[in-house]
Amino acid sequence: MIRAPQTQRVAEHLIARACRHLPGEAGDERYREWAAELPAILADSDVGSGVRRSARALRYAAGISRCARRLGRAGARPRPQPSHSGRSGFPVLRVVVGVGIYGAVVALVVGLAAALHPPHRWLTVLLLPAAACFAAFCLADLARARQVRYLPKWGWAIACLIQIPLGGIMYLAAGRIPPPRPEPPAQP
Amino acid sequence: MKLTGPLERVLRVFLADPSARRYGYDLMKAARLPSGTLYPMLARLHDQGLVTSEWEPSSGDAGGRPPRKYYQLTGEGIRVARLELAQVADAAPRAVPGTARPLPGSAP
Repeated sequence: MIRAPQTQRVAEHLIARACRHLPGEAGDERYREWAAELPAILADSDVGSGVRRSARALRYAAGISRCARRLGRAGARPRPQPSHSGRSGFPVLRVVVGVGIYGAVVALVVGLAAALHPPHRWLTVLLLPAAACFAAFCLADLARARQVRYLPKWGWAIACLIQIPLGGIMYLAAGRIPPPRPEPPAQP
Repeated sequence: MKLTGPLERVLRVFLADPSARRYGYDLMKAARLPSGTLYPMLARLHDQGLVTSEWEPSSGDAGGRPPRKYYQLTGEGIRVARLELAQVADAAPRAVPGTARPLPGSAP
């Protein structure tokens, strides 16, 4: 029985990200192994409350992340290049969704600015860190990516920086090559 | 093999019942180790041939839970683990305080 499906999904996501440090086949197997431990943690009757079980599952996933990085470095053989057998064309749908998200962000910011008359300082206090975090997230993801599409890495880095958030959204939608990772197993 | 504290705990857990197959979370709880310590250690032991792993047959028992990977000491692993732990037990009594300390007032 799984008592915290959201926590499980978050933990699975963290584990899937961690397994990207391992070469293809080994990463798949490790993902299956590590994700299979989550139900036991989340249903562990020795741990008092659901919150503590969730915390334990997330700590577990964080440890897995360190572990995968270490294992990835230890077995740092040249990785097989990601196969682009499914190299589709320009991801139109993702870009459309990205532009939609961008529009929503702009509408939100403009709406907030208009609603607050005169504009309050806390709007800046709120928005600047959010923008900085998003740009940092995109740059971190870019730095870790082995390969990107359509622009060189430095091109995407400039785009992410000069047009926050559109550059970052476009990178995530178009430039980023999604990792070849299987979907987490379906919820029972 | 350098016997660190965490490794010693894992070997003790395995040796408590060498025929038992243990899965990762089971080992984490029994040895009180975080995942970030346990799994690299298991990988090392596996590379050294001291531990084997096998997948649980996926013939759906346990209510739709995904199949687990189980770990177990190999014959060689049991031998090495017993040896290492015996050496620790051997070395321990020498550290008992009081045996090598001069009695108060016995110094010239």
